[in-house]
Order: sequence, then structure tokens, then C-alpha cells
Amino acid sequence: MSEWMIELHEVSKRYGDLIANDRLSLHVKKGELITLLGPSGCGKTTAMRCITGQHRPDEGRVFIGGNDVTDVPTHKRDLGMVFQNFALFPHMTVYDNVDFPLMIRGLPKEQRRALVADALRLIRMEGLEQRSPRQLSGGQQQRVGLARALVYRPKVLLLDEPLSNLDAKLREEMRFEIKEVVTKLEMTAVYVTHDQAEALALSDRVAVMKDGRIQQIGTPRDIYETPRTLFVADFIGLSDFIQGNVLAIENDRARISIDGLQLRVNRTSDLTVGQAVTLFVRPNNLELLDAGAETGENVFEASISKMTYLGDTIDYRVILPNRQELRVQTDGQRRFEPGSEVLVRFPPDRCHLIAESE
Amino acid sequence: MNTLKGFARGIWGGKLLLTYTVLLSLTLFILMPFMIIFLKSVGKDWFGKRWFPPTLTLEWYEWAIEIVHLPDVMKNTLIIAALAVGMSTVIGIFSVWAFGRRHLPGKEILMAIILLPRMIPTITYALGIARIFYGLDLVNTHLGVALAHVAVCAPYSILILSATFEALDERVLEASAVCGANALRTFFFVTLPLIMPGILSSMIFTFSTSYNEFTLTLMTYGPDTMTLPTRTYLAVGEGYWEVTSAMSVIMVIPSLLILLFIQRQVKPEKLVGGFKGV
Repeated sequence: MSEWMIELHEVSKRYGDLIANDRLSLHVKKGELITLLGPSGCGKTTAMRCITGQHRPDEGRVFIGGNDVTDVPTHKRDLGMVFQNFALFPHMTVYDNVDFPLMIRGLPKEQRRALVADALRLIRMEGLEQRSPRQLSGGQQQRVGLARALVYRPKVLLLDEPLSNLDAKLREEMRFEIKEVVTKLEMTAVYVTHDQAEALALSDRVAVMKDGRIQQIGTPRDIYETPRTLFVADFIGLSDFIQGNVLAIENDRARISIDGLQLRVNRTSDLTVGQAVTLFVRPNNLELLDAGAETGENVFEASISKMTYLGDTIDYRVILPNRQELRVQTDGQRRFEPGSEVLVRFPPDRCHLIAESE
Repeated sequence: MNTLKGFARGIWGGKLLLTYTVLLSLTLFILMPFMIIFLKSVGKDWFGKRWFPPTLTLEWYEWAIEIVHLPDVMKNTLIIAALAVGMSTVIGIFSVWAFGRRHLPGKEILMAIILLPRMIPTITYALGIARIFYGLDLVNTHLGVALAHVAVCAPYSILILSATFEALDERVLEASAVCGANALRTFFFVTLPLIMPGILSSMIFTFSTSYNEFTLTLMTYGPDTMTLPTRTYLAVGEGYWEVTSAMSVIMVIPSLLILLFIQRQVKPEKLVGGFKGV
């Protein structure tokens, strides 16, 4: 058996003129939780439906557990799935819902009873077996959905925006609950969401998608700290972007010029002198200093144009000498009033260059 | 103070009295014809302006059963109704499935044509059916009469079932497939139980439609397919007022049983919901 539990090979799917998946390839390791993250219409749901078999790809092959399942119908793929709207069987009790996949598989009654009890214990729903789904809260319904998807220990667990129908607080709690259960059972899971916080909190790896393709795939840390494209940098977290040109390359650093201001930053990709690049930095990685402080490398004069109090952070709009506006977030130890002159420092390790311009 | 309260209570009481008077009059107005028929069916020598029959008897019921062959007529009526209900429900399920799941060009026009028999006068429709059925030798067969009934029963089925299918959540069916159930098992374990209320209300409505259908039966029946409403009508013509009354009373029994069943088993709002989108 190959080391990959799920493989998509160059999968394409079109709806008329719309290309939902464009030669998409994805490899998921056994026991890995991978997230397909992207805005609506990026093809993440289509990709998931190709895995479940609800869609047949126009081109490309789908493998589960090393077997080509491209032409295998959904019910023979040995999957578990959690739906955005829960999709519980409304005419069955909680017990019967969880028991359904086992009943379909024709397992002996005793074994079924034990497995259902296990699954309900796992999601802490003991004692509610005889309730109807209608009598449960959203969070409880989604837990039952999770139990139904896990009870027969399928090869692959698919989660289609499972938390979008829940309120914010519950969403955050259930994130960890799902992560815990999936990790405990060593499930291979594909999680579809448009919520970046969810993706970062849950995943072993995140695949950021746009226009039917994967833009970047990596650990949450990779994706957040070293985004490779402007789209990824912009989609995940807050970012400042500054256009510039490469002046010189010195070992692992690059010197770039932005309207005459010179910056020395980390070099992550191959660059050539004179090339147009975009510098990208997170607002909370920029440092604000008093106007009188000593200047040095990567420090520029600037003025505060706006200040917004956000509780644990303070959000500043800062204008550089070239009229460029930056967003800077600090922890609020040192306050700056709007209109005051300050110095902005760009820590070289926290600035990244993306070899494309907007 | 007390008089004031008494006065207020008086108005309130008056209001209540008025409400009850109106409601009771309405009930009486609805029930009166039936009460007269009932008294007629159990009364003997009841002529003139008397309020109540002088002697009570079950004689007319015996007449109805023996002379008018009521058991045979009832059997015909139920066979025809059962056929009409069965055919309408099957037609309903398949056409709603086709309308709902498939992209059909001209869907609205097709739907309008199917609903047409409910809109145009039944007698017009019945004449056309009679012409066709004489040519096909379908007159005086249970199937023929039932087919004629289907023309007015099937639209009910389609209306009720289309609302049921619309309410069916596609993702619940997907969930069943992901859980490992093939199309057949999904249909029996998930789809069928979920659309059962719709099928049930469709059956109740088509049954009562076929059971009460008069015009279409009149144009297609024969001696072997006499139904209750037709026989009752003919009995009036033959001059048996008392026997006719007895038949009418017997005819009410199945309707009452169904009404009882609806009130007990099926939630009325579900039946009303079946007419959503008419």
C-alpha cells in the first residue's frame, strides 16, 4: 500500500464554462488532518465531492488507500462525512442515526451496540440516545454527525464546513473537540473551510486554494509565516504589502529599494537584481519607536494617522515618507497619539519577499 | 363598583353568547341536511309538518342491502377507489420525482396540463372520457372507471407530493450514501420514511375524491361497476326516498373513519402544507 491515504491526480472538473478544479493534485498521508482552505468558489467543495464520489472528475484519477476509486460509487468508498447542515436522519433517534452505517454493513447486533456506545461516549452524548435530532442543539447535532461518521472507523473522514452553522463560541470549542477526536482515532481527515482561524488551529497541513488550484500547501506555520503568493499572504491573517525593486543580493539577505528607501530583508526565493518584488510583513511584526531614538538599518521616519483600540492590541495606521500607508499592531505598552512622529522598524527576519507584484 | 363589574361581565357574557350563537347556527346549518337524511332513514310514516318520525325502524337499511345490492355497490366503490388511489400515488411519485430531480424544458406547461382536469368542468372532461372509453371497451370495467377517476385524483397526488419532495433535504440522502447505503437501501430506509406523511395525505385525498366522484362515474359506469354515489342518485330517481337516505347514511361511514384517522394520525397542518405552491 502506498504511503498516501488519499491521492488526487490532476483532477479537473468543469460546470459548463466554469472550471471548478483545474488539474488539482493533492496527497494526504495516513493519519493526517488536512484542510482545504479558500474563499467560496475556489473549488474546495468540488475537490471534496470528487473524494466522496458525489462528483466524477472530468479528468484525472482519485485514489483512496492506494486503490483507484474514480469509478467506485460513494457507498462503496468506506468514508465518513460530517455535513455543514448536520444532515442527520430526522426520522431516527440519536442511537439509530449512529447505528445506521453499522446496520447497513450488517454487523451483529451485540457489536453494533458496543460500537454505538463507544462513539457516543467519545463525543460525550451518553444518555441522549433516544432523543430525536430535532430535540438537540446545533452543537449536539454536529457531535452526533461526527459520531455517525466515525462509528465504523472509515478509512477517510471528510468534514464539509462542519462548524459554519454554529455560533462563534461553540465553533471555537468544537474545533478542539474535533481535533482531539480525530487525533485520538488516528483518522485521515480532509476538512473544508473558508475560516482561516479554523484551518490554522486544526490542521496538520493546510492547502490554500484559489480558482480551482492549490496555491500553497504546508503546515499552518509555513502558510502563515512564509506565504509564497500574494493571495495566500492576503487571505491568511493581516498583511502589509509594499512594492519595491531588488537592489542587491548579499548571501541570504536582499537589499531592496522602495521609492528611495532602502531595506535589508530575508531572501526566501530566487531573485535577480532589478526585479520587481512585493515585500510582505505582518502588522504585529513591525516595531514603533520614539521619534528621537537612534536610527539604524530598516528604520524609517513616519507619522501616525489613525489609532484604533482593540483591547489586547492597538491598531495604528502609519504613513511612510513615500506616502505609503502601513498597518501596525502593537501590544499597547507604549502609546502613540495620532499625528505624532515615530520611527518604524522592519525586522529583517520578519519581512518576506514575494516575487510578484500586484 | 360591584354593579360596574357586573355590567362588564354582562357585556363579556353577551359577547360570548353571541359568539356561541353564531357558531352553533353555522354548525346546525352544516349538519341539518345530514340530520334530516338520518331521521328519514330510520323513520316510518313520516309525512307532513311533524318534527320527528312517529315510528323508528331499520327496515330501509334492510331494503338498501337486499334490493339495491348495497354490499356489491360498496365493493365496487372500494375496488375503484383503491385502484384510483394506487395509480394516482404511483403517477404522483414518478412525475414529482421527474419534475423535481430532472431539468425539463417546458416543465411549467407540462405541470399546467396535468393540473388541467381539476380546473375545467368535470362534465366536459367526463364526456370526452366516455367517448374514448366506448371505443376502447373500458366502459363498465373497474379499471375504466378508476382510470377516469385518476384524471382528477392524480393532480391532487402531484400537488401534495411535490411539496413533500421539495421539503426533502438532498444532503440527508447524500449522508446515507456516504454511510454505505446503495440507492435502493437509501430509498427504503431514508427517502420513503421521510416522504411517508406526504404519501399518506395524498392517499387520503385521492381516496375521498374517488369515493365521492359522481360525474365521471356516471359517464363511464355500467351494471357491474355501479358505485355508491351513482346508485344513490339513481335510487332517488326510482322514488325510494327512505332507502336512498339509508344508503347515504351508510356512505358517510368510511368518510367519517378517514376523518377520525386524519385527526388522530396525520397532523392537519401537514395536509395544508401539501398545498403549498398551488
